[in-house]
Amino acid sequence: MIARITAAYTAVFAIVVVLFSLTAYAFVAREYASLLQPALASPPVAAAYHDALRRVAIAIALVDLPLMLVVAAASYVLAHLSLRPLLAARERERRFAMEAAHGLRTPLATIASVAQAARGGDAAVTADALETIARAALDAAALVGDLLTLARDPHRSALHREPLDLGALVATCARDFMPLVQERGIELRIDSRSAIVNGDERRLRELLRNLLENALRHARSTIRVACNPDGRHAVVTVEDDGDGIPPHDRERVFERFYRRDVAPNGCGVGLAIVRWIARAHEGEAWVRDGEAGFTTAFVIRLPLLPIS
Amino acid sequence: MRILVVEDNPAVARSVAAILERRTFAVELAADGDAGLERLLSGTYDVAIVDVMLPGRDGFSLVRAARAEGIGTPVLMLTARDAVEDRVHGLNSGADDYLVKPFAEEELLARVTALARRAERPFAQTIRAGALEIDVAARTARYAGRELRLGKTEFRLLEFLARNAGTAFTRAQLLERVWEYDFDGSSNVVDVYVSQLRRKLRAAGARAPIATVWGVGYKLEREP
Repeated sequence: MIARITAAYTAVFAIVVVLFSLTAYAFVAREYASLLQPALASPPVAAAYHDALRRVAIAIALVDLPLMLVVAAASYVLAHLSLRPLLAARERERRFAMEAAHGLRTPLATIASVAQAARGGDAAVTADALETIARAALDAAALVGDLLTLARDPHRSALHREPLDLGALVATCARDFMPLVQERGIELRIDSRSAIVNGDERRLRELLRNLLENALRHARSTIRVACNPDGRHAVVTVEDDGDGIPPHDRERVFERFYRRDVAPNGCGVGLAIVRWIARAHEGEAWVRDGEAGFTTAFVIRLPLLPIS
Repeated sequence: MRILVVEDNPAVARSVAAILERRTFAVELAADGDAGLERLLSGTYDVAIVDVMLPGRDGFSLVRAARAEGIGTPVLMLTARDAVEDRVHGLNSGADDYLVKPFAEEELLARVTALARRAERPFAQTIRAGALEIDVAARTARYAGRELRLGKTEFRLLEFLARNAGTAFTRAQLLERVWEYDFDGSSNVVDVYVSQLRRKLRAAGARAPIATVWGVGYKLEREP
């Protein structure tokens, strides 16, 4: 695509340059001829005239060729710049279609097989099957929602942003999570300080929920959640004391549908959503080693809101 | 409790009604926007559940029209997609909450109960404090007749201070009651919003919009 556009731009320019050069050459030839009119009859003058014209032709060609190279390079760069967003959008659509197909196959298979197996069963079997089918359909719908979000460019997405205290939100979300954590016999430590950012509260709650769910899936005994202002950023860390993530997998956990074998029942897109939300807030999400007994730390960094 | 469900897909409407009726709520159905608006304007419902995509008048316009008529019934919007634009649009047009279809039964019941509980408090629909006038249903605030353009949180803070005009609140109390945060630390997000509100109120002509009470926090005077 880029090569085709470059070729087209260059061809148009080449035609213009050639036409212009031919016109210029013809004009020069005519002016010389009318100037030398009577003397042209003598052979030495005629030879000198043709020599001069040849030099003019060479000079024009020497200017034209580099000009065309410059234009070819410039059109390549321009084509690249103007097409990049389009190509990226097309790539996102393609990925969405592929991933939706991939992600929906499992719940659809579940629904089909459970529905068929329940045929002719008693009331208890039917109720059970309906419950499984409803669950599978809801999972599928949630997945489609997540994939639709991921298919958007995080840098130009409509977020409903206003100043909010990320530290207070982190503490609130973590406390909401407390009953679930205690049910599993895990300790949740919260250490959150005020940090004001320009954020979309619902999206940031979703980010924190995904991180907490992820930590809960892996933690052995303790999860630590912290939020601190650091220079011009607010930094949220969620640490757990699970098996840890080896360095070569640390980028891949943010890929959609990437599941490490050790991770039980992760949905596969939660961490991709985390990174998407962080980037939509001009921030970043990554994984590093935990500190003081923790093995894994998910780190979210968002710009602080400058307060006048 | 009486609930109005405005939904054009008969299968979804029937199942929403079945879920709610199982909890002994009284459910009435409307299949398009105009019929839904007509019912809602009768003002006899505790909660309305409104689909965004409706034949005729869409859900946003239905809610906006109802709010313009002063109907404060809490509205739960149903959207088909995870559409951020839908959500922002919906909340701006006066809906109280939104839910993405399809949803889990428990989720629907939790949202409906929460909205109903909020509506039970016998709150005035119009709050006045001096020249300040807040129309809770229409989500508009005016100072001396001039409309204040407020964000969602700004509106909630001003509404809270105006309901309790003359009473001072600490930052922690405001954070808990307006933001509904559970945070022990000190946060100056309250100050950020107070200064935004002060700026907007001053621009509308208020002289001493929100007072700082030394050692306590903030209050809105009865005559700001």
